Amino acid sequence: MNKYLSNGRLWRLCQKELRESLRDRRTLFTLVLMPILVYPLLSMALQRLVIGSVTKTKADPVFVIGAESEDTANQLQGMLAEARLAMDRGFVSPITITRTAEPKSSEAAKSTPDPDGSNQPGLDQLPKFDVFISDQETLSKALRDGRLDLVITRMNIEQVQLERGTVPVYEILAEFRQNDSRSEAALSVFRLATQMINDFQAEMIRKGVDRKLPVAMTFNATGIAEREDLSASIAGVIPLVLILMTITGAVYPAIDLTAGERERGTMEALIATPAPRFALLFSKYVAVVTVAVLTALANLFATWMTLSFGGLGQALLGKNGFSVWVFVQILPLLVIFASFFSAILLALCSFARSFKEAQAYLIPVMLLSLGPGLVTLMPNVQFTSLLGIVPLVNILLLSRDIMTGQSSMVPAFAAVFSTIIYACATLVVAARLFGAEAATSGSQESWWELFSRPKKSQMLPDAGELAIYLAVLFPMFFVASNLGGMIELKGSWALFFNAAILFLLFLLMPLTYSWYRRIDIPTTFRLGQGTGVGEPLWIRVGRWVGYVIGVVLLSAGLWMVAFEAYLLLESWSLAAQLTEADKQKLKADFLAVPFLVVFLTGALAPAIAEEFFFRGFVLSAFRSKLSAYRSVLFSSLLFGLFHVIAGSVLSIEKLLPTIILGLAIGYVAIQTGSLWPGILLHTLHNGLIFGMSRFTEQDLAKWFGDDTKHIPISWLCGGGLAIAFGIALVFVSSQRKRFHEDVI
Amino acid sequence: MISAENLTKQFNVRGVPLVAVNNLSFRVSNGEVYGLLGPNGAGKTTTLRMIMGLLEPDSGYVEIGGVRSTHKSTDIRGQLGLISTNDGVYPWLSVREMLMYFADLYAVDQSLARERLEELANLLDLGGFIDQRCSTLSTGQKQRVTLARGLMHDPPVMLLDEPTRGLDVVGSQAIFRFIDLLKLRGKVVLLSTHRLDEAERVCDRFGLLHRGSLQFEGTLCELQQATGKKHLVDMFIAFINASENSHPVAIPSNEQSTEA
Repeated sequence: MNKYLSNGRLWRLCQKELRESLRDRRTLFTLVLMPILVYPLLSMALQRLVIGSVTKTKADPVFVIGAESEDTANQLQGMLAEARLAMDRGFVSPITITRTAEPKSSEAAKSTPDPDGSNQPGLDQLPKFDVFISDQETLSKALRDGRLDLVITRMNIEQVQLERGTVPVYEILAEFRQNDSRSEAALSVFRLATQMINDFQAEMIRKGVDRKLPVAMTFNATGIAEREDLSASIAGVIPLVLILMTITGAVYPAIDLTAGERERGTMEALIATPAPRFALLFSKYVAVVTVAVLTALANLFATWMTLSFGGLGQALLGKNGFSVWVFVQILPLLVIFASFFSAILLALCSFARSFKEAQAYLIPVMLLSLGPGLVTLMPNVQFTSLLGIVPLVNILLLSRDIMTGQSSMVPAFAAVFSTIIYACATLVVAARLFGAEAATSGSQESWWELFSRPKKSQMLPDAGELAIYLAVLFPMFFVASNLGGMIELKGSWALFFNAAILFLLFLLMPLTYSWYRRIDIPTTFRLGQGTGVGEPLWIRVGRWVGYVIGVVLLSAGLWMVAFEAYLLLESWSLAAQLTEADKQKLKADFLAVPFLVVFLTGALAPAIAEEFFFRGFVLSAFRSKLSAYRSVLFSSLLFGLFHVIAGSVLSIEKLLPTIILGLAIGYVAIQTGSLWPGILLHTLHNGLIFGMSRFTEQDLAKWFGDDTKHIPISWLCGGGLAIAFGIALVFVSSQRKRFHEDVI
Repeated sequence: MISAENLTKQFNVRGVPLVAVNNLSFRVSNGEVYGLLGPNGAGKTTTLRMIMGLLEPDSGYVEIGGVRSTHKSTDIRGQLGLISTNDGVYPWLSVREMLMYFADLYAVDQSLARERLEELANLLDLGGFIDQRCSTLSTGQKQRVTLARGLMHDPPVMLLDEPTRGLDVVGSQAIFRFIDLLKLRGKVVLLSTHRLDEAERVCDRFGLLHRGSLQFEGTLCELQQATGKKHLVDMFIAFINASENSHPVAIPSNEQSTEA
């Protein structure tokens, strides 16, 4: 580590920045006072909105029902008239109807918590129902748009055989809008009416009065998945407010610790010190993130209190309201968001020469971030995978979905992972901007210099280059892996398409980027032969014999380890969700593709492309700052995380096997100083896995015995030995060579 | 020792090239106070930044104790102390916290930094307010804190960039005493200023800088002999007039003057 920077020193620098920020009254104002002021006001405003939506329902008791035919409309009106008659006569039902609704959807759970109707509000008189007649499609659309409150999809009379004879039974099917207070009110009134008629008929029969209407009615209602009503939109407001408040918390310290340095006249003294610029900025970053997180925490707590104790939580977020579990999920999200936005603020403020200038930069950014914020408030905005990589929007939508209990894995992963990558890249940019202007005597070159082609060449990319490159690569990779599914390529073409994407993103782009940034390509990508400089041919051949045998041994054992590691998390995989028939079909499709195609696109192409990127660019970038051991570890983690994303699904089960493979190839790459043995290992590994997966269970049973799911212990022991010998052989074969690859 | 050899730096200001420093060479020995003099915009600050390794010269180089500033810029910065006109303090930190912070930035061992702090508190009379927040200090007190900050890592080379600008007589006096102290401790002192009268009082040798070029270099005696003028102000006006009317005045050899 740099002699001007130890961990203890970095910690003291962070302490100083934090102390400075937290002693400032203006920081404390946004931290403490704002939540105290804002939330009661917000709570009052929300209360009004919610109450408004409820009173609207009550003040307008004419419901509109849709029906498909004149006939149904007449029957409906007749039925409602009957219920009204019963009500006018002061009939109180003595019977509890249990046959009413066995809902197809989640109706019982969501809209009618009391299926027996015992807690239904009593009605003095039945509200009026208008009937609108049209075809099914128009009715459904009108229901979705909120112009209809209920749609009767079927109304049949069936003869049901009972003990005392045949009884005609009305079977009514209806649709309603889920979570829409008006539609649900119409539903419950209609249900009450059917119940009333049933009870009334039963009472009449008991009294011996003959009636012309059928005695019984069954009523089933299906909720259509339209949750974006007023309450859901308000639920979207909460993350927006939380995020805006978090930003507000970070703004002041960000300006004060960067542009403020310049205004106070401490910047010059600061950059004249030998302390690394990144450390200076990083300590400021830690302080800004801490204040932002504290603000987030204060605001989250205030929101929680407001929603939990004001009774608003249930009205806005459903049955569970703002639970502790929601709190626990939202907080890390806010921390990630604070890390990202603090980096943006620091980058902008580092560029500013004064408080005023910094504010002038920040106002447009704040307004710009309101834009996507408002998008999330619009109804029907689904949190799709692709929105998962859009900064700010992703966190807002994820928070909204967590609050309403509907978050899904892929976009959530994309949101978290991409936001972290963006934060790192922005921080690197901020560190390069920080103090640059003060050092260059006001020449306006600093922004351009960040992205222009450097004048000097460099041996390896540094960690900063990697962060910036990842921030560009990840969204592209994510979009590309979703694209494969969208254009619906079949069989071999899909495989070739994937291979082409891999070549583009992991091979061509890093090479182009390295060329542009004047990064030494042979060194960075380890294009050397893995032999010593000036060694006689026989030694070089000897080394390579060792590498090849070592790598073959490694691959012979590694596929087994990878397979068993895969089984550990197999229950998470997509395959585990498939039916047996689907699995058979997938396997048949897979077997229909020639093995050569599978080998080229699934083994050779990924091996070349991914090795160039992960053991070339990534490993070298880490190596410029970290020890070999840590570099291999981090590059393998990144290698694993990139494999988790596969189109529109998350392949969590791939994480462990790829990390293990990454560690093994990382070792080979560092040890030999060459990319080529790793490419061979990767190709063999993938080839073996694909080769094995072409066998049927009957084939496998011949070798594996009864348990075809797991690899037999004897095989695993053999594999372990092969790995050990492989590692040893690579180690021995790469000894005592002196050449520049040793440094990487 | 500072040794600047043929330093040249050009900036692009809105596409127009501007030569800030042009072929500048000078040397400053240990225990010597060298005055880099010139009007505003003469290239003094750019020269200091190149010495600190914050700016890379287009051509030429600076050596501090025999090490080129661009080669090991981090180590070089550790050898330098900088006190400039605009130096501020951290309003929310106490004097002690601020000085210890800078000691940390220069990687001074914590216990050593505490000793230095005590020593500087006595020397610059900070004792009365060392635990006060900087925002509560008077201008004079802030100035003394800044001077202490420059010495927390006990640098062999001290760069003073217009240190008296905006100070009253008492404040300027404190700076002069400080420069004497630095000299006494055998430090290399480079004073950049446009206050020629002050420079006359404290500097051993002078370099007169105009439009990025060194117009003349030498001791006060040498300058008086060469120009026939008694005071630096008069000499400088003569130089400027001469350089604006004709070609630059011939510069005496650097070698000669540094040996003096």
